[in-house]
Amino acid sequence: MKHFSEADLLETYYTQPGESMPVMMHLASCPDCAARYERLEQKLREAASCNTEKPATFWTRQRLQIMRSIEKQQSHAASASRMLRVAAAAILSFFLGGAVVYESVKPVHHQPPPVVKVAPVAAAQTAPAPSAADIHDAWQSEELQDFHNVVEWESWVPDNKTTSKQGRSL
Amino acid sequence: MATFRVNPISESAPSDQELIARTLGGDGAAYGILVDRFQRKIYRVAYAITRDDTEADTITQDTFIQAYTHLGKFQGRAELETWLTRIAINRSRDWLRRRKFVSIFSHDDAESDDRIYAIEPVDEQPDAERLIMSHQLRAAILRAERTLSSQQKIIFRLRHYENHSLEEIAELLGLRSGTVRAHLFRAIHKVRKELGEWVTKREGVSDEAL
Repeated sequence: MKHFSEADLLETYYTQPGESMPVMMHLASCPDCAARYERLEQKLREAASCNTEKPATFWTRQRLQIMRSIEKQQSHAASASRMLRVAAAAILSFFLGGAVVYESVKPVHHQPPPVVKVAPVAAAQTAPAPSAADIHDAWQSEELQDFHNVVEWESWVPDNKTTSKQGRSL
Repeated sequence: MATFRVNPISESAPSDQELIARTLGGDGAAYGILVDRFQRKIYRVAYAITRDDTEADTITQDTFIQAYTHLGKFQGRAELETWLTRIAINRSRDWLRRRKFVSIFSHDDAESDDRIYAIEPVDEQPDAERLIMSHQLRAAILRAERTLSSQQKIIFRLRHYENHSLEEIAELLGLRSGTVRAHLFRAIHKVRKELGEWVTKREGVSDEAL
């Protein structure tokens, strides 16, 4: 008869014992292995037992802390939503106030004078021809009448020069 | 704003659904009754996974606070107890992962385990040897558990400490039964070597004691 090792019994314990049929059948027929399995089971049960038994005050304290935390969380949430609403109202009033001020006090726009561009060719075409009286020759002004002799002399000199040059060349 | 008072559970205990409806309606005391109803169970599950009193307490509180925040989303497809247990398991899993991450840098895992399972002087007690054996076995289990992944550890601990069936664990973790079975088998194969040796080694010593 093949006996199972402690490791096998351990595996049988942790997996659901009913599923390991060969082991269970062997345990049913082998009192030695059955006793070993029983001892192992007992040891593991003892090792697994958690001391979670606490006095009533522990649970009451824990419960009160939970409820207090929830209450605090709720008050925080309420104050946060209140702050959010106040902030939203402030932003809205800022924009509305701005719009009202903008509408009531219209800003004065200093616009530059309009520049009229006239095409030069067109201006020349459309401009009226100047009359004879408007034509003013700067060299025929009345102020130059006093220098009439000089002008004549000046006009005489080139003629002389040209004649002397012509005589020399001849 | 609702104020909460913790009242003792009356004789004709209202159902979970009724208490949920009352809580959603603003009756804070109704939630106090729900907390009173499930806090022990949630604490036990958290303790089974974390093996730490303080953390189990914190996780229990966090579980109920989180459940209250999302109570409106609870659709009643599962039992409230299952839903709460799932929250507690998820929070415990987060804690395990954080602890694993921290232990990489601090190397205080073994020390803390030894501290938890420090054997107290029991010479005066009649069943002293048996108590020592139990402590040593716990320490051996804990050492063996160090090789397990978070998921394997949770499944193994729910099976070992809480004695949940595979189907129950599958429901709590939202996994298929076959997946849980596979995880448990892998966990047991890692654990059985050390525990098997320990049991064999101690067998001769403990036969008389037991």
